[in-house]
Amino acid sequence: MNPFRVALAVARKDLRSEWRTREVVPALAQFIILALLIGNFGFQIDSRNATTIAPGILWLALVFAGLVAFGRTFAAEREQASLEAMLMTPASPVAIFAGKALAAGALLVICEAVLLPALSILFGTPFSGEVVAAVLLATFGMAALGVLFAAIVARVRARELLLPLLTLPLWIPFVIAGGVAVQSAMGLPGNYQQAIGLLIDFDILFVVLTSLAARFVLDE
Amino acid sequence: MSIIVANGLTHHFGNEPALEGVDLVLDMGEHMAVLGDNGAGKTTLLRILATALRPTAGRLQIAGLDAFRERRRLRHYLGYVAHAPGLYPALSATENLQFFCDLQDVARSRVGEVLDAVGLKMVAHRRSDQLSRGMQQRLAIGRAILHEPRLLILDEPDASLGPDAADLLMAMMRDKTVVLATHDHALANRLCPRTLVLRHGRSVGTATRLRVVQ
Repeated sequence: MNPFRVALAVARKDLRSEWRTREVVPALAQFIILALLIGNFGFQIDSRNATTIAPGILWLALVFAGLVAFGRTFAAEREQASLEAMLMTPASPVAIFAGKALAAGALLVICEAVLLPALSILFGTPFSGEVVAAVLLATFGMAALGVLFAAIVARVRARELLLPLLTLPLWIPFVIAGGVAVQSAMGLPGNYQQAIGLLIDFDILFVVLTSLAARFVLDE
Repeated sequence: MSIIVANGLTHHFGNEPALEGVDLVLDMGEHMAVLGDNGAGKTTLLRILATALRPTAGRLQIAGLDAFRERRRLRHYLGYVAHAPGLYPALSATENLQFFCDLQDVARSRVGEVLDAVGLKMVAHRRSDQLSRGMQQRLAIGRAILHEPRLLILDEPDASLGPDAADLLMAMMRDKTVVLATHDHALANRLCPRTLVLRHGRSVGTATRLRVVQ
């Protein structure tokens, strides 16, 4: 059985469900805009401090939007009792996990398509390909970790509380490297190339680790 | 040839025993009903037989293979209808089955055939959350037979099915080995020559059709 076909089928199914129900994306887009507005009014933004404050607001909004997006991936399956039906097929649990991560990552990317232009408008920061690349690379690894922990906590009642407790500490490397990359792309001191290299390393490390762990998390 | 050989199947949820030392042998093509009150252990037994739940103790062989070591291989071989339909509410009946075709490595052309078999051809494009409970159950049965399994594990498949439940199930069960849990003794009697009765997680014996009715 082709694992890519399985992963694509799972991702397509999740994205189609989201397209029809519009449960996650509109709420997240609204959250992102509100977070940016609060940041904008909470700090006294001017041309001198905008590039210092904007990266922090960007990562805060992204991290909390990610927790919501990834938290829903397995919770919905549990509520519908559909996860067992999916795991009762001969499809590889790693392929199923990859499909779920792909769909959740895609939802976050859609939210980033709102976040990055809105950040540029509200904070007057540059909207460049370098910023987009840093955010996308961080999203990749964050999706793998976030979906793995979402699968682990989906079977417990206090999952909304547990997911951030487990996920946030492991997202810190992405926030640090991504933060440096975005700051330097916005003209602040920092080595952009080095930060992007670190993000790629973290992506490879966490994608491999989560794929190995997914088999045991989903199989039992 | 024995398809299911179970020895001492036991399962505990925490300290609560749900199943205690159930032995079972089922030959190819046999149909067996599992009867018992609520909490008797029917669903636990069926989930173990479907390899969805690992027993706390005991051994299970399906088609000569260790059911838990080889469970991924066995999933081509068995179809399971769980207690809840477990469908994707935003997807149509066709899309639900197409998705499982991709996961089962079955050609999508099989979907029309299955929808016809379970009597859902007329509502094939309706979202599954807009189907009645009985139609959802039919769709769940359709999903279980999509890959033409030789062993069917059915947990109260007659729930909400309506008056033609027995005919539909009889058609689905033809040429297959079946374990079926139900509360409906008449249905069990009509569909299954053998019956296993559970009480408080223990087998209180198998019975013939006539003895259960009596």
